[in-house]
Amino acid sequence: MKKLKHVAFGILLACAAQWLRAADVKVIANSSVKVTSISADDLKRVFLATKTSLEDGSHVEPVLEKGGAAHTQFLKEYLGKTEAALDMYFRSLVFTGKGAMPKILAGDAEVAAYVAKTKGAIGYVSAGTAVADAKILEVK
Amino acid sequence: MSRISKIQLVGALFVSTLSLHAQFSIDGHPFQAHAFLSQGFVSSDQNNFLTMKTSGGSFAMTDAGVNLSTQIGDKLRVGAQFYTSNVGELGRWHPQLDWAVVDYRFRDWFGIRGGKVKTSLGLYNDTQDMGFLHTWALLPQSIYPLDLRDATISHEGADIYGEVSLRKAGSVSYTAYGGMSRDSKYSGYYFSAVDTVPFKDVRRSLYGADVRWTTPVAGLMLGGSYMHQRMGIDGTLAGTGGLYFRIDTDPPLRIAAGYADYSRGKLHLAGEYRKHYEILTYASPFYIMKGNEFGDQGFFVSAAYRLSHWLEMGAYNSRYYVNAPQDPSPGATHIFDQAVTARFDVTKHWHVKVEGHFMDGYGDTYSAHGFYPASNPQGLKPSTNMLVIRTGFNL
Repeated sequence: MKKLKHVAFGILLACAAQWLRAADVKVIANSSVKVTSISADDLKRVFLATKTSLEDGSHVEPVLEKGGAAHTQFLKEYLGKTEAALDMYFRSLVFTGKGAMPKILAGDAEVAAYVAKTKGAIGYVSAGTAVADAKILEVK
Repeated sequence: MSRISKIQLVGALFVSTLSLHAQFSIDGHPFQAHAFLSQGFVSSDQNNFLTMKTSGGSFAMTDAGVNLSTQIGDKLRVGAQFYTSNVGELGRWHPQLDWAVVDYRFRDWFGIRGGKVKTSLGLYNDTQDMGFLHTWALLPQSIYPLDLRDATISHEGADIYGEVSLRKAGSVSYTAYGGMSRDSKYSGYYFSAVDTVPFKDVRRSLYGADVRWTTPVAGLMLGGSYMHQRMGIDGTLAGTGGLYFRIDTDPPLRIAAGYADYSRGKLHLAGEYRKHYEILTYASPFYIMKGNEFGDQGFFVSAAYRLSHWLEMGAYNSRYYVNAPQDPSPGATHIFDQAVTARFDVTKHWHVKVEGHFMDGYGDTYSAHGFYPASNPQGLKPSTNMLVIRTGFNL
């Protein structure tokens, strides 16, 4: 019984840690994007430039941060790629004529401002960043 | 154009691209410019490799590319890339249009790109010139022979492409293509025939498809490719004052490939198997020979591990088999290559690779894969050890 309690406590801790990690980053979108939530699979495909429109038909454009904690967390959590691997991925598209580099901005404030003013833009920022003019997307 | 002025042209193109921001606007319209440049040194103990005089150490290994592209609206993208290379007797600084595409994506699952398009075949066919994308100084030559890149690198025609989500089963991306291509006069097939039947024209019409499945297993991708290619070669019989010689594939040549790529954290594993089969008809004023069967197959398996942000170590085993070599020597049936590599990422845009190759065999003359009798007049030896140092820049 005691062992079972330890296991249950461990699972609870793991879930809490997972929730806390996910909560470090929020996904934001321009108000032209009609949906209020996005699946993790669709989010990954948007940021790998293989999905350019959402279920509501709206065209979307990914915006990445140049570096920082939110960037590292987002890549690990939602794309499953290291920063170097993601860079190589986009360079392979660019140098074969099969894609373009995404918009890359310096940090949370720049991403939040760009997403707020650019139709179809989707980005990510640290959980504490103010995003009054953009909408927050729930990732399912 | 003299050799010096061609080098200056390559340098000027690269430097002018460096002086641009990778992303810039003209009249509010977004453009992207990118470039790469690589320089190699190769030293071997026995045979000369890839038409370079590697047995004495050779720096004759340079290539560079510059591209410009722009997005017009949400769905249309246009762009072009120029490429030049000098690897021993290959390339010879001859600039070529590497790709030039108009790409319209109707839906995520259906797009069309037309023009001169890089061909999707196996893991690395379309990225084989971009050393900065790969761990290796030389890609496994059983599948991606640098001297024979023109045979598959691109086509003038069109692709249809797209990606379909399979939800919990991952996603599938596809490319289907058709078009024509012409080998550069400074490519391996031309060089292999220079003493016997100098070629005037090597042309191909082709179609094929590539399908890759991003599996639900994190980091695992599986794929397969098929190409159907009709090749025609016009040449002359050496020493006859210009009598014609013609080679045709009948039925068309077929290439099939299967591949896997697994990437998880700092570990990267990859492997590919490729088979090629053709039946050739030779025609000259004196004879017609039909039904000459040629085929080869090869595979590689590779593993790389990133030890730090500036150092990646890796190794691959590459094996190339000739089905029915014309040369009866044991070394003509195969090329086995064990390679070990250290890649140093000095900065995000500058890398240096140091790579050792331990090769057994030299393959057959009809499909040289790097070892040419013309660049080894002393005769080909059964084994070759080789050091490759290659550095590259990109932005």
